[in-house]
Amino acid sequence: MHIDPYVVVFDTVFWLVRFLFWVVPSDVWRTCLLLLPAAFVGVQKAYNMDASNLYFVIFYIFFWVVRINGCVRRGRQPLLRGPEWFFNVRVQPDFYRGAGRKILHRYWMRMFIPFAFDVPLAITIFLSGRFPLLSWLILGLCALIHINHSFSVDLAERQARPFAILEAEQPVASVALSLTPRRLRDYTNRNVELALALSPLVAFAWLVRYYFATPEHHNLRLVFGVPAFLLYVQLGILFIKRVVVAWRTSVPQAQAAEHMEAREETRKYYLQVCDWNRAVASAGILFWPIKISASPAGLSHLLSIWFAVWLVIGVVVTVWVEIRRKQLVTLALHARPVKLPDFLRQSEIARWPVCYQPSAPMLILKGARGYSLNLANKVTHLGAAYLIGLVALFVVLPVGR
Amino acid sequence: MFLTIDTNDPRPIYQQVADGIKELIARGKLAEGASLPPVRQLAVDLGVNLNTIAAAYRELQKDGLIGIRHGSGSVVVSRTTTERGQDELLRPLRTALTELVLAGLSSSKILSMVARELSTVGKESK
Repeated sequence: MHIDPYVVVFDTVFWLVRFLFWVVPSDVWRTCLLLLPAAFVGVQKAYNMDASNLYFVIFYIFFWVVRINGCVRRGRQPLLRGPEWFFNVRVQPDFYRGAGRKILHRYWMRMFIPFAFDVPLAITIFLSGRFPLLSWLILGLCALIHINHSFSVDLAERQARPFAILEAEQPVASVALSLTPRRLRDYTNRNVELALALSPLVAFAWLVRYYFATPEHHNLRLVFGVPAFLLYVQLGILFIKRVVVAWRTSVPQAQAAEHMEAREETRKYYLQVCDWNRAVASAGILFWPIKISASPAGLSHLLSIWFAVWLVIGVVVTVWVEIRRKQLVTLALHARPVKLPDFLRQSEIARWPVCYQPSAPMLILKGARGYSLNLANKVTHLGAAYLIGLVALFVVLPVGR
Repeated sequence: MFLTIDTNDPRPIYQQVADGIKELIARGKLAEGASLPPVRQLAVDLGVNLNTIAAAYRELQKDGLIGIRHGSGSVVVSRTTTERGQDELLRPLRTALTELVLAGLSSSKILSMVARELSTVGKESK
């Protein structure tokens, strides 16, 4: 008898998790995680921990609480359209009793890949006591979770396609593309942009004054390093925002209105997220001169207020994100998924995660083995140049260390 | 303002793109002076080869419907500046009418179809 080692591992983990959640319901798990910060306050007092370190730990625990919701949401995603669907693939009726079960379980297992990076790194950070590194770990994990999810969904759909209903797998004959011009300024709030532009100006003016008051006592990199890095990050997010606005794809002509509405709402959501992140960077730039001008006695109190405010904002934004995601799912369910014609035969020309296809002008091609980044695209060049600049700034400037 | 591509259509994709843009110009959706998306951008959006869109734009330029200006992209030019003769303009109409006659439609049916299409185009271009 053949024993599949994957099935043994999955079933063991699956039943263990089920047992844990049967013994202690998920609400209790969440409450326990939420109570952890209170426990850390005790730890802080016992070990005389710095207030900012305590907040890094609280943010990290909060991030874990949010991830429980994320895991539940992603776990339900394949079946959102009902049992006859697996994500956007219309599957045969016995799919979930046969091969589909294994594909679904593998998808669930891949959701935990980020934890394999997170847990050892977090343990190392906690043991070393370098708690500010937790903020970088959170940022890295956010990117990893999204990239892992995109590739995982694409892989699961490709694995499910051989079990799809044949008629549903035929590409639609007719596609439509809106030629209505779309500009960055159509998605820009003038007051917000004014505030975002003014805050670095005010901060840098303050820092110049601070530096020239006693230049022999101040290190140029220490005074201007962090705001310069944050300004660069803000410009990077603006670049992403521009790419999101310009991103346009054709839709099936038969259901053009539904698909257009779902895409427009998704676009608005991502642009709002970009603006939120730009606002965070601007707030950081503005706070920096206040921080370095504060007296050592007042700094601890100031940092406590700063982190507490961000914790409250973090909770509010998380709730907003969850509400918006639910609205987007409702809209996406109105648009029936269809396969679009592949005019460029992308599966043949893009076989690896990266490719060089000057005749195919897209940034990302959907190849035979998942998404493939087109190195011939101008946005790829700009993105690569930006990332090199980001790493160089991180090395040169005293950021997060 | 949609541009459509149909894989069941016997016309090549570049021709469908060119005809689609011509229709938008005729209906007044793309007014005189309106900018067209750059060749690269439209190719990305439709997921087709760059040369396909370049060929469509070349045809539109040859027909005198768009002007390609270096630095500012392609813009719709005035329809009154079209320097094509009446014979050249009538040729596609003649081809279309031949198709309809060969399809077995009666003259009255063809006339009513032409009148309906003309009124749609005329109404939208005003």
